[in-house]
Amino acid sequence: MYTLFLKIATRYLFKNKLYSLINILGLSIGVASFVLIMLYVDHEKSYDTFEGSENVYRAYMDYQEGGKWVAGDANTYIVTGPTLKDEFPEIKDFLRFRYVNGVLLLRGNQVFEHTKGSLADPSYFKIFHSQLKQGDVTTALDEPYSIILTEALAQKVFGSEDPMGKSLKLMDSYGPIFTVTGILKEDHRNTHIKNDFLISFSTFRAWEVFEGDWERTWTQNVYYTYFSIDPNTNTALLQQKIKDFKIEALPYERHNIEPLEDIHLYSNKPYEAEANGSIQRVRFLFVIGVIIMVLSWLNYINLSTAKSLERAKETGVRKVAGAQKPQIVFQSLLESFLLNGIAILVAIGIVFIALPSFNTFIGKDLSLGISNIDQMLPIFGLVCLGSLVSGLYPAFVLSRYTPANTLKGKVNTSPVGLQVRKGLIVGQFFATIILLVGTLMVNKQILFLKDRPIGADLEQVVALHWQVLNLGSDSDSTLVQGIRAFKDELRNIPFVEKTATANTFPGGRYEDLGSSAGITFPNGTRDEKRITYNYSVSPTFFELMDFTFVAGGPFKETSRGYSNEIVMNERFVQYMGISEMDEAIGKTVRFWEQDWTIAGILKDYHHFGLKTGIEPIILRYAPSSNNILVKLDQKAMASGGMEQAMVQIEGTWKKIFPESTFNYTFLDQNFEAQYKDDKTFGTAFQIFTVLSILIASMGLFGLTSYTVVRRKKEIGVRKVNGATILQILALLNTDFVKWVGFAFAMAIPVSWYAMNQWLNGFAYKTSMSWWVFALSGFLALVIALATVSWQSFKAATQNPVESLRTE
Amino acid sequence: MLLQLKNIFKWVNSGGQRIFLLKDINLQVEEGEFISVMGPSGSGKSTLLNVIGMLDTFDEGEYHFLDESVHTLKEKHRSNLYKEYIGFVFQSYHLLDDLKVYENLEMPLLYKKFKGSERRAMVADMLDRFNIVGKKDLFPAQLSGGQQQLVGVARALIANPKLILADEPTGNLNSQQSEEIMQLFKRLNEEDGVTIIQVTHSEKNAAYGSRVINLLDGRMV
Repeated sequence: MYTLFLKIATRYLFKNKLYSLINILGLSIGVASFVLIMLYVDHEKSYDTFEGSENVYRAYMDYQEGGKWVAGDANTYIVTGPTLKDEFPEIKDFLRFRYVNGVLLLRGNQVFEHTKGSLADPSYFKIFHSQLKQGDVTTALDEPYSIILTEALAQKVFGSEDPMGKSLKLMDSYGPIFTVTGILKEDHRNTHIKNDFLISFSTFRAWEVFEGDWERTWTQNVYYTYFSIDPNTNTALLQQKIKDFKIEALPYERHNIEPLEDIHLYSNKPYEAEANGSIQRVRFLFVIGVIIMVLSWLNYINLSTAKSLERAKETGVRKVAGAQKPQIVFQSLLESFLLNGIAILVAIGIVFIALPSFNTFIGKDLSLGISNIDQMLPIFGLVCLGSLVSGLYPAFVLSRYTPANTLKGKVNTSPVGLQVRKGLIVGQFFATIILLVGTLMVNKQILFLKDRPIGADLEQVVALHWQVLNLGSDSDSTLVQGIRAFKDELRNIPFVEKTATANTFPGGRYEDLGSSAGITFPNGTRDEKRITYNYSVSPTFFELMDFTFVAGGPFKETSRGYSNEIVMNERFVQYMGISEMDEAIGKTVRFWEQDWTIAGILKDYHHFGLKTGIEPIILRYAPSSNNILVKLDQKAMASGGMEQAMVQIEGTWKKIFPESTFNYTFLDQNFEAQYKDDKTFGTAFQIFTVLSILIASMGLFGLTSYTVVRRKKEIGVRKVNGATILQILALLNTDFVKWVGFAFAMAIPVSWYAMNQWLNGFAYKTSMSWWVFALSGFLALVIALATVSWQSFKAATQNPVESLRTE
Repeated sequence: MLLQLKNIFKWVNSGGQRIFLLKDINLQVEEGEFISVMGPSGSGKSTLLNVIGMLDTFDEGEYHFLDESVHTLKEKHRSNLYKEYIGFVFQSYHLLDDLKVYENLEMPLLYKKFKGSERRAMVADMLDRFNIVGKKDLFPAQLSGGQQQLVGVARALIANPKLILADEPTGNLNSQQSEEIMQLFKRLNEEDGVTIIQVTHSEKNAAYGSRVINLLDGRMV
């Protein structure tokens, strides 16, 4: 009997190719999207989870602003770890990282760059539960000048040689020599803090040329501190105790802790080790994934119920032949499983094919395979359960038909069932319209940000990265002379319009900015409450960036290449409580134990991008520079193009620094890169919107075919009585228009609320224009009508003779 | 002369063979005639009726209706023609289940662009004539078969057609209801001069008409 059932089921699938195709396609798109999204969600949620990770916390600083404590930097002080450990017995151990970013690694004369690593305490292995492939975890990070490499980096530097005990130089040729004491075991862990190498923290003491002797002080917070905490600790209580713990040197700061596992999605503080994920985005995508999955199941229910009408006669015959209700249900379920099974297989295929591009797109490395089978099982379990439930409804509808009626060709369509299906369609369009509004709003916001003037001209400005100088000493005369020589050479290149040096630039990284926790205003009052940021530039920077001065002007150039003159933005002047910009010129402020004279006031520009507001900022005159900025000439550019220009600049660079490498960033691209995540989010929104529209259309298609079957006789009668094709079309389509209208009315408040939430993440928001909603509704309507009309047109043009022949 | 069929052929191709549904039909119908079409199942009675009613096409021959050559007309023109002059009555009534009696009668008028006041007058007149005023707010399911067919005939007549085509109008009715409907047809034919063509299996019903056409395998015999 079962083989017969299976035979009937397969034949049926093959006979109704269009129906099977739509069903399988709809389901597999749904399942594939769901699985991809869940992979992403799982990935985002899996950050920093390992054995014991729930007992690891990171310390960060709270700052007092206007009498209130706000979450400040993710960075803490070098003494944070030891001090808190001594104070609180609950803290079992601490681990400090000091990020060393973008350094050069030298093996003999071979240069390896773009590596990033940290100074780390030996507790690293215990607290982060890491293991060494080679070397001894108990001693590897003990001695100064010890270095541990990841497998990948070791492979890159040493190839097939055994790296243990070999020496490596860091930075330029003046740098210290390290001994490789271990190779990290690759554990494919997701972590918010990624290191290619680790240097023993004790190196720090010996490494004065790099940092100066600040080891015992509360002066510079550039260290990440992690604690392992006794599992039996009441962490809320501990957190409160840590917050209450006063440090004399830091009257306006206090320590705070957060769980390690929460950092990636929830923390989002200045000076994070890497750009955080966003729990909001994860939630949005999760909801979209669920919507798509549910849509495709609703679809399946819709289509198969519609189709069951056509099978009513078969059911009738079978019942007359003695089939019992359970058998009818069973057969229907079997078919449903067959169809869902095929759909799931197709979906897995789609996931495998789509995964590489999905990975590139989201910039992650997700995988699906035996290794994460435990991660996938619940997802697929859910999918299977959904298939079962969605197969039950059509099965029971089919089994309910009474044979006497179905054999006569009459199908008793229950009005309740029709209401259910209408509800499903309204639900689908409700979701579709919300997604459409989302897509339009996200795009509108991104365009809005792109079009907003930032107060500086970043076009055709290239930043050449100055890594050698960064890690050497600023006062090293050979390097300073090298830069001078290079700048002179640049001036001789015809398409170079202007040059300047700067520590960072608009859109640059947070960690390139200097900061100061206290500043003395010209009137002598001292504000310790607010962290202010500053960076160093050369006098030509202002003209190059096309900044506008509202008062004063750039620094006076000195032969030393630095002075105590500063330029600040309008916001800074307001922050100091000075209302007239001109009044500030020539006044003195004090920070970093030094007096600074205000030379000019800049019109406010967007340094941090448009997600945040404008902050008070100071520009200092100093040679210390990560970047040489080059403004390229428009006219000269036209002839050779950007590439040729860069080749020529690189040639010049290599002439002066033959042993280094050449890196550059276009400032406008860099500035826009901060919207990368939002753009990705926008594109993801678009893709899934299109998919859900596709699925919703399929559902509508199913319902239309159902309606058309149901109203076949009516259409015939009306046509015989003189109705035109257009009138029939109107008759059939009005209902659908009504449903879309209904869905639209419900979707407006929901989408308005959701998009408002999303926009709250931006300091500068686009408006929620009425046309976004109108356009979404209109699009949904057009899609609905297009889908419906295909079938209603077929029905309307059918010869009524066909439908009225019941004799 | 109301209509004329000349050498009408209609066929379908099935498995390489041509099966004739209508074969060389020649028929002339004068206004005021009451014709009964008879013949065994599958002899082409309904097909003939559908061809006359312009619901179905034919493959060969000529069809003249009043002054129009139906075989040369476009679909749209043809439907305007039958909309204006022909009313249909079906064996299974084909009333719209979701509409009340009143609305079922009004429905054809909607498609013929009558004004609201005209429609009300015409429907009221029809309800009156058929003695079903009391039933106007009922749904078809609440009526007996005979009453449903009465509504069916009233609907066919409402726009004053010249020709009524009835496909076994009493096929689903008992003998008494059947009798009533046939009496109604006779009265319409004699008193109002409506031309009627009915398909029937019953000799008794055929006797109400003025002429009988017998079909066998698509031919007139």
